Amino acid sequence: MPQRAALVLVALCALLPLALQTIGERQVYWLFVVSEFFVFAIVAVSLDLLMGRTGQISLGHAGFVALGAYSAAILNQRFGLDLLAGMVVGGVLAGVASLVLGFPATRLRGHYLGIVTLGFGIAVDQIALKWDSLTGGDQGIHLHRPMLLGLDVGTPVRMYYVALIALVVTALLVYCLGQTRIGRAFAAIKDSEIAAAAMGVPVARTKVLAFICSAFLAGAAGAIYAFLAGFVAPENFGIESSLLFFAMVVVGGMGSIGGAIGGAVVVDAVKNAAATVSGLSLAILGGMIVLVVLFFPGGLKALLQRRRRAAAPVSGLDGVARQDA
Amino acid sequence: MTQYLLQIALAGLAQGSLFALTALGLVMIYNASSVVNFAHGAMGMAATYVAYVLIEEVGVPFPLAFAAALAAAFVLGVVVQTLFLARLRNAPLMSQVVVTLGLFMLIQGLVGLAFGYNPRRMTESISLAPVILGGLVLRPQDILELALLVVLGIALAAFFAATKIGLGMRAITENRYAARLMGIPVGRLLAAAWGAGVMLSAVVAVLAAPTTSVTPNMMDTIVVYGFVAAILGGFGSMWGALVGGLLLGIVVNMIDAFVAPELAMSIVFGLLILVLYVKPDGLLGRATVQKV
Amino acid sequence: MTVRFGGLTAVHDLDLDVPDRGIFALVGPNGAGKTTLINALSRVCRQVEGSIRLDGVDVLSLAPHQAVRAGIARSFQRAELFPTLTVLENLLVGLHSAMKTGLSGALMTPAARAEEKAARQRAERVLRELDLWELRGAAPGDLPYGHQKLLDVARALVSAPKLLLLDEPFAGLTDAETPRLLDCISAAGKRCAVLMIEHHFELLEGVAERMTVIDFGRKVAEGAPAAMRDDPEVVRCYLGTGRERATAEAAC
Repeated sequence: MPQRAALVLVALCALLPLALQTIGERQVYWLFVVSEFFVFAIVAVSLDLLMGRTGQISLGHAGFVALGAYSAAILNQRFGLDLLAGMVVGGVLAGVASLVLGFPATRLRGHYLGIVTLGFGIAVDQIALKWDSLTGGDQGIHLHRPMLLGLDVGTPVRMYYVALIALVVTALLVYCLGQTRIGRAFAAIKDSEIAAAAMGVPVARTKVLAFICSAFLAGAAGAIYAFLAGFVAPENFGIESSLLFFAMVVVGGMGSIGGAIGGAVVVDAVKNAAATVSGLSLAILGGMIVLVVLFFPGGLKALLQRRRRAAAPVSGLDGVARQDA
Repeated sequence: MTQYLLQIALAGLAQGSLFALTALGLVMIYNASSVVNFAHGAMGMAATYVAYVLIEEVGVPFPLAFAAALAAAFVLGVVVQTLFLARLRNAPLMSQVVVTLGLFMLIQGLVGLAFGYNPRRMTESISLAPVILGGLVLRPQDILELALLVVLGIALAAFFAATKIGLGMRAITENRYAARLMGIPVGRLLAAAWGAGVMLSAVVAVLAAPTTSVTPNMMDTIVVYGFVAAILGGFGSMWGALVGGLLLGIVVNMIDAFVAPELAMSIVFGLLILVLYVKPDGLLGRATVQKV
Repeated sequence: MTVRFGGLTAVHDLDLDVPDRGIFALVGPNGAGKTTLINALSRVCRQVEGSIRLDGVDVLSLAPHQAVRAGIARSFQRAELFPTLTVLENLLVGLHSAMKTGLSGALMTPAARAEEKAARQRAERVLRELDLWELRGAAPGDLPYGHQKLLDVARALVSAPKLLLLDEPFAGLTDAETPRLLDCISAAGKRCAVLMIEHHFELLEGVAERMTVIDFGRKVAEGAPAAMRDDPEVVRCYLGTGRERATAEAAC
């Protein structure tokens, strides 16, 4: 995503709370909605790292989010753990849990992996519901007022900025990773495992690493979500959530951070707008996914890029064509 | 105690036949088109709603409604294959996974939109009393499920082995390009495979309707177990799907009885991961090699 | 060595001695076992009986991704480039074993940045030598096929291997594209051992110093290309018997 556009968007997001002050009481609702979107965007970016960049299908990503959210919630409720610690613990726990998927992933063909990750998501959901002595079952867990390194961040505005900063940091980390050795290895694995191995990439180990990174980010996002909502319950992390994240990555365009965030905007908007009518958001998102796959393979991102490319021709290739003619 | 175990095993076999039939449909579709149909359950569910509407709102007798549901399922399968999947013939695996998932969401969403999520009752296909045989309770429903599995299983095996269409479908699986060159109508056979596969899903959904009620997510659990059964069977072998399904049915019922029903799926997936770690191609699968 | 796939023995008791510099060609009709040999050497193919030694290291004990560090690099019959990455990034993947940066790359630590800079300079040098530097930011999929094959070889060269395995590098190239690749391979042959699979005799005569002909997985003849041309065994397996040749020539 072009640097300047990204900076402008971040600046706009930073200024939004000020603008929202004009609508008085209702700002609390909107601050929450946008903060929630930031958290979802982090999950989308993490899923894109795994699916879009490394080519590993994951249909149970909400499971990692749940692990992060629950560990932060449980530790906060019992020991008063603060937000940053919650993020770290949540991320680490999710990362470790991803080994359960990561190791089989090294040996499984594409759709087997999809089904196994689906099962993971379902399993986490079921266990959260059943293990009520730890997780509170369907009653869930309530968190204390969120603290961050001694600072009270319990207000909607402060949590908004926490979520925004977390998203920006995540995007930067994933972007930098993509420009360096490991990020390239991820892409190589997606494009051609055999060639990647021939170039010296330890494919199995690197796939596991992709799972760990992706799960860590999703878990940390889950922790933020727990503090944001003040409450965790199994219904937030079921298969429907996994499918939402999946839709975000597909609709936005796989293999792109900007695409994942853009997809998160669209999917979250649809989800919120259609929330009252059962089945509507599912149908719309399903329809979008089908349309994207059939007619717009690069998702939103490709659509926008096509318009930009039409304006400015690519240099260098004309010279090549002439040389060979 | 053995009585109790036998009862569980019986229930397991009955439920397992549902898993097996689902897996058979999945494997049939996969064998012909190399696509895992993540929308399998939803498509069978949609066909069941056709039967539901016909029975409860139009007053059509059950056998006719059932036949209509099967026809609807066949048409749905054909439509999905020709409209959506045919275009993705050369697309990467990920695209096919994504499109069937998208279809799952679309179909379930549309049905939910049209009928709501409230469970609806459909008049049972069999209203006979259970039979007591040697201390074991045999529900006619269970016997029907098992019987259907056996009949359909044998019919499918014979079909693929002996008929022209069946042979054609096997040819497509082996080498689609060569099959096309030999004049085999690949497009039509693919459509037929999808139609037949979805029909199997509809059979399962209608059989399961008395237990699960008719709702947009009625097939969700069954289809997941269907996937597991297909994987255990090696996702390519019809016999594997059959055996895998029955085995899984017994395992699930054992877990229900001795551990906890709410954890059944988690435990099954834990077991699946273990199995796949040792045998990445399923219990009965054959390893595939990639040519470079 | 011997390589078996199930009941089929692709390579029978093949003995090859490759000097540490120069271009060595492996020639044979389709299905003779040439690509299998390369797959065995680059450890893509793991069911190999026998032994392969490179500078004293037993190559068969290596996993595929360890081949590069041992000094073995290869190109592919169908280029197998990484379309998601740019031309330069494709080469940088070739340097994966030579670099150490792990996740610290995401943090852009000074060490990571320094290593990245050094790697880029190394890759750009290779691109300049092959006159591909201007295309460093292009997507491989946008390049003409000749450039893709060149890039495939460049990616293998960037790790400064001791043994360069080339699988039909000239396959699919036009006459206009061939000289550039030929120069590249000749230059490589001065720095390391090059084992090249190829069909085109005319190309080999200009480039290869020694050549082995194999058929059905067995060695049929060995020596300098000029001598091979007239060797009766070679002629038989490539061009058929005298009668078949006459019929073919008459038909053209």
